Parts: sequence; structure tokens; C-alpha cells
Amino acid sequence: MTETERAVDDAERAREQGGGQSGLARWWRRLTPSARALEPVPRRWVRDEFGVLLVLGLLIAGIGIPYPDFLDTNNLLSTAHNSVYISLMACGMVFALSMREVDLSVGGTYAMCLVVGALLIRDGTPPWLAVPVMLVTGIALGVFNALVTTLLALPSFIVTLGTLMLFRGVGLALADGKQITDLPLDDSFFTFAGGDPGGVPFALWVLLAVIVLLSVVLSRTRFGARVRAIGSNPDAAAFSGIPVVRTRIQALALSGLTTACAAALALAFYGAGDPTLGQGYELQAIAACIIGGTPLAGGRGSVVGAVAGAMILSVVASGLVFFEVPINWTSFATGGVILVAVAADSALRRTGRRRR
Amino acid sequence: MAHDDILVAEELVKSYGGVRALDGASIRLRGGEVHALVGENGAGKSTLVRILSGTLGADGGTVRAAKDARIAVVSQELSLFPDLTVRENLFPQHPPLRLGLLDRSAMDRAARPVLAELGLDVDLRTELGELPLADQQLTEIARALLRRPKLLILDEPTSALPAAAVDRLERVLRTLTDRGIAVLYVTHFLDEVMRFAQRVTVLRDGLVALAGAERAEVDVPELVSAMLGGRPEQPPRRARSLAADRPPPVVLSQVDVDGRLTDVTFTVRAGEVVGVAGLQGAGHLDALAVVCGRTAVSGGRVDVGGRGLPRSLRDAVRAGVAFVPSDRKRYGLMVDRTVWENTTAVSWLALGRGGIAPARSELVRRTAELTERLRLRGGPYDLVVRLSGGNQQKVVFAKWLATEPKIVVLDDPTRGVDVGVRAEMHRIVGELAAGGAAVLIASTDLAELTEVCDRVLVFVRGRVTEEVRGERLTEHGLAVAMQRPEVTASD
Repeated sequence: MTETERAVDDAERAREQGGGQSGLARWWRRLTPSARALEPVPRRWVRDEFGVLLVLGLLIAGIGIPYPDFLDTNNLLSTAHNSVYISLMACGMVFALSMREVDLSVGGTYAMCLVVGALLIRDGTPPWLAVPVMLVTGIALGVFNALVTTLLALPSFIVTLGTLMLFRGVGLALADGKQITDLPLDDSFFTFAGGDPGGVPFALWVLLAVIVLLSVVLSRTRFGARVRAIGSNPDAAAFSGIPVVRTRIQALALSGLTTACAAALALAFYGAGDPTLGQGYELQAIAACIIGGTPLAGGRGSVVGAVAGAMILSVVASGLVFFEVPINWTSFATGGVILVAVAADSALRRTGRRRR
Repeated sequence: MAHDDILVAEELVKSYGGVRALDGASIRLRGGEVHALVGENGAGKSTLVRILSGTLGADGGTVRAAKDARIAVVSQELSLFPDLTVRENLFPQHPPLRLGLLDRSAMDRAARPVLAELGLDVDLRTELGELPLADQQLTEIARALLRRPKLLILDEPTSALPAAAVDRLERVLRTLTDRGIAVLYVTHFLDEVMRFAQRVTVLRDGLVALAGAERAEVDVPELVSAMLGGRPEQPPRRARSLAADRPPPVVLSQVDVDGRLTDVTFTVRAGEVVGVAGLQGAGHLDALAVVCGRTAVSGGRVDVGGRGLPRSLRDAVRAGVAFVPSDRKRYGLMVDRTVWENTTAVSWLALGRGGIAPARSELVRRTAELTERLRLRGGPYDLVVRLSGGNQQKVVFAKWLATEPKIVVLDDPTRGVDVGVRAEMHRIVGELAAGGAAVLIASTDLAELTEVCDRVLVFVRGRVTEEVRGERLTEHGLAVAMQRPEVTASD
């Protein structure tokens, strides 16, 4: 089943709606005196996510009140599960965007890792052993992106635009353009990692762990602080002696790693390696980051916000079904959400500057 | 107005806010003469140029021009379009048209005689950015001449030019004055004044210190005196006690940097404050760049902090170099971040002190110690953008002090701060030296060098021409040394 079919399937099985504008909530947050009063408090990141989480909550309530079926646990879990792969990519993407880099290649990385893992398993590698190989592949592709960006002194936007197609092309060639099937689906990898331990899809457990881990990494560790320092002022970072090139390699490797992680989970869930999977995911991951409060201008970022952004996109898509909007309008609504969020973000930044 | 006067300005007054930029300045520009305009930074030269060219209105005084006196300005920074062709650059506003399209042959017919007169032999279809800087400058002069001006204002045209191009400019100026054009030549280079100009006017603090004197009547020391005035000179510094037994932290030996430095040799010992001075492009800032690991060296030996030549900014930082840049917002600070994030950027993020994930309270505590020591008004959690300029500069100092640097490189450290902060900065520099750091400082403010330095290396056209120390370390002494024409000026 391709992801489009799956999305349609899930959406119809559920029936939900949206119309979320995280940006507006952040307006509200900025304009509310009580929120402004929190400004000097050092725990910035708590505040940064507040707006987007509020919007996510309002969206869910906005659909759930007229359509209580939407609040059904299974439906909420499947809606969350729909966004899990983009969420994971967005978790890594936050690091790239925070240091003014972009990783457009994640869609290609995702497909290539998926194919590599599926081929290994089909050819007899124990599935749990294929996972580290997939993760290392993702890291290697991220390092490749960073090295090419550095050696050619080009923006990572352009380099990863190229490697997006390059990596997907390798995946397609390795898979001979076909889905890789005949995998040992009774292996514990497929039943456990593709299943619902504790009643919750395994991928969501992984996502939860990644959110906690990377939030701490971004806000509390030296690496995270370097990423934000470089994004805040690349020249000053270089003049301070911060290792810009090494940090770039690490950030893009991290983006590759979370993408490979998504690929491993997708392989476990689908039980097949489809080289055409994940088309357009890169733009959705970037959109999720921006909705979640990570500006393209860098300097700050929020892992929690990025995941909430991805969830908002997913809730909007499935919510349209509840409001009986034709499925063909899904892209339209998604685009609308992104535009509203980005417009509100830039408007906010302008007022913020004026205040200074 | 005499018959050969092109433009006469009298008693010009202009204030910006409360600051008097011009306070009754007069100048008389005659056809067929090169009239030099000199003065220190901030003396009012640019303001006068802008009023004469009509881009700025004066608060008082008169400007009278001869009939049909067109004025063209060639500005300090080139105002050309590097991606357009030479031809397109020559006609930026009203290019000749035929049938609504650019008339290239008409453009070429108009441009050729002017270019020939300037001795500029280029294909008009060349993209401007591919020309050497000197030819770009001539293109800009050509563009000005195509407007057939009676007065040509050249605002510091030679600061970026090699010696040969200056010779060519001299010939060009002679051609122009032979045609009866008046040239107002703004410059810092007094040797050029002596070469090119028939007259010279010196501005000081918005006033005319020397009015249209004929060149034969003045010499360089007199011009310097007129620029600086009778300012009280600082008493000479007493020598510090230096750790002579230890190897010096900064050693440059016969260093060459392509096109910028030639055979530069100097050392800075621990506990010493050494200044570098020079006119724009003289190479003193390139010497700082070498120490900071920002410039590739083509010859000679460099040792910084006992680790040889720093290959990168990061290399230099790890060798113990602290660099306080002149443009602090661009190179020194993350203005949208808090004080503590800025002060830990070097010690923690670059040098790794504190480990992978130190407790934030510990980072903040260390910041608080530094801000207290520097008497910085603002807490660790304040955003840098909300601090005053002086306090922002203290944040830059704080982030380097946190590393206990062995070598401190300062580029114009007190630009744009008030006198109180300036004095504090100088106290900190003194403390750093007393604590055993080697300090290297450049400044556009010569008084600053005389106040804080033990000695000052003077650069002229890429070479160290003089070391000024002791009783000769005065503003006047430095200004004269910076002007000294190089012995091998014919290169």
C-alpha cells in the first residue's frame, strides 16, 4: 500500500478535520501580557512551544466536539502514527534549520535507507541487524551532504536539492524500481517494531524518546548551543573559534540519522521496501519545523514544536474527512495551513523587531 | 566671484542632532586647479562634499556656483554595477535610445573619446567586475566626465589603489585641469596632496584650519599640525615590566602576504601593549588578520602562542588569541541572544571548557563574575540587543576574558562608545597586559594608541616603516610617520 492509499484509507476510516493556525496562537501568546511577563525567565523553550501546542489542542477540540468519533483513542493514535515519519525527519531538520542550513534530501535518504534495509533482510540478514546498517547509511548520507556543501562552498539548499534526487535514484536503482517484498514478516522485528506494544504503535514510542533526547541535546548540550550560535550569527561564531564545519557535519548527520530511523520504522510497519515512498516529505518536514517555531533564519529551534507542527498537518488532513471535504482538497488545506503559519511568523518577527 | 571661480561656498553650517559637523566652513574652487581637502575622520569632509554636490542641505551659509556648473562626484565606495558591462555602467540614468532600445553605437561614440583621454583601453562589452580595481575606478571617473562637469569631486579615490594606478591618476588629473575643470580631491594621503594639488584646505572639527593654501607654501608636518590642532599631548608612557625571559607570544618574521604585506617583522612580548597604525590599506589590519588566522601567508615565519602560524580563526583561538573586532554586531555578538549565551560562546562552545552539558546555573554564575568584574550594566539573562553600545562591547570583552587569553587583538575597540566606557576599556587592556597577556591594538583614534600602547608599529604600503615609542609616541608623531612616503615608492 502506498502512503497515499494509506492516508486515504486512514482518513476515511477515521473522519476528522482542521483549520489550524499555530501562528495565530503565537500572536495571541505574544500579545497577552501574562505571556510577555514570562520573557526574562530562562526556561525559554517551555514558552516557545506553548503556542503551537495550544493550536494543536484547539484543533483537536474543534474537530472532536462536533465529531466525537475523532476523539476515539484508536483514531487519535492512527492520526499520530500518520505523522510519525515526517515528525522524525522534522526532529533532525530542526538542527539543520537552527544553524541556517536546509536538508532537502531527507525524502531521498528515507527511500534509500528503506531499500538498503529491505534488500539486506530479503537476502537473509537478521532484521534487527539490518537496522544499525540503515542508521549508519542515514548518517553517511548526512555527512556526504555536509562535506559537499563545505567543499563546494555552496548553500546546503542547493546541494541537498541535488542529493535528494541522487539518493532516491540510488534507491530506485538498487530496488530495480520495484517494491521489495518476500520479507520474513513473522520475525520479531516486523511483529514488535511494526506492532503496537502497550497498545501504542512502536513508532510513537520511538518518536517520544527522540523528542525527549533531542530537546535536551538542542537546548542543553554544547552541540545544541553551537548549532544555535552559528544560526544566530555565523560570522561571530567563526570569529569566536566555534568549529563551524564540524558542527555542520554533525547537524546534517543527525538529520540523516533521524530520517534513517523513520525508514527503519516504516520498513517494520509496511513489511516491504518501496523506493517511491516519502516523496515530498522533505517539504512537509520543513513546514512542520516552521509551523513549530523554528525560523528559516536560524538561531533557535524547537523539537517539540516541530513534532507538533507535523501533527497539525496530519490532524488537518484527516479532519477534512470528518467535515466531508473531498479528499482532493487535502493538499489545498495543507498549503493553507503552512501559508498562514509562515505569514504569522514573519509578521511576528516584524513586530518583535519594532519592539526593540 | 572671480571669473575663474567654479564654486564658492561660504560659512557653511550643518548640525546632526546636537553635533556640529560643519561650523562655518568656506572653500573656493577655481577652474583648472586640483584643490585638496584633508582632515581627520569626523572633521567634516564628507559633510562638506555632500553639501557642495547638492545631496545635503546646509543649515546656514551660501554656495554659489558659476553658470551651468555641473558637478560630478566619484565617491569613496565604488557605486558601480559589477555584473553589467562597462558600456552599461557608463550610462546609468539616461542611456541613448533608438526605437526604445539601447543605442549601443551612440553610447560607444560618446564613451570612446572620454576613455581615451583617461588612458583606459578596455572592451566596452567587458563585465565591469572582471576589470582590475584601478580600471573600475577610472570607469567611474569616466562616467562622471560623460556628464561634462565643470567641477569633479573625487572622494578618497586612491585608498584602494596600487602605486602604478596612482601615477596614472596623476596624469588624468593634469589632463582634466588643462581643460579648465576644477577638481576637489578628498584624501588621507598627504604625499598625494603634495604631488597632485595646487591648493589645499584642511578641516578640523568642522572649521577650516588651513584655507586654500598654495602647495608651495606648506609641507607635510604643517598639514598634520593643521589637522590635529593644538591638542594637549599625552605624557609618554612609562615602560612596563616585561617578562623578557619567556618566548614572545607573537612573532612575525619577514612575513609576506600577497599584495598586502612585504617583509613584516615584529614581536609582541607578554605584558606588552603594541599598537599598529597606518592609513587605509597600509597593511596594519592585515598584520592583525595574520595573527588571528584569517589570512594566508605567502612567505616568512609566524608564531602565535607557540603553535606556529594559525591556519584558521579557530586555530588562533585555540592558540590563545582573543579578537575584539571593530564591527562588534557583525563579528563579535549574537545580539538576539542573552548575555550568558554570548559570554560562554568561546570558553564553552569553542574551547569546550565545561564539557558536553554543563549545568546552566554554572554557566550563568561564571557570566555573573565577569559582568561584575567589567561593571557591565545588565544581567546574564538580558538580551544583548537591549544593552547600550558600551555595554555590548563589554560583553565582547567578557566572552574573551572568560578564556584567559594569552594574546589579545583589538581592532578599534572603543569605536562608538562614550568616554567613560573608553576609559574603562583602557583600564581593562592595562589589566590584561599586567596579567601577562600580549596585546596588539589598531585604532582609527590615534589618541587611543598614544594612551594605551608601549610602542606603535607604523605601516606604509604594506611595510613596517617605523616603530614609534617613548617621547615620540604622540598623535602628531604618529600622523607624520603614517604619511612618510615609502623609500621604494616607484614599485
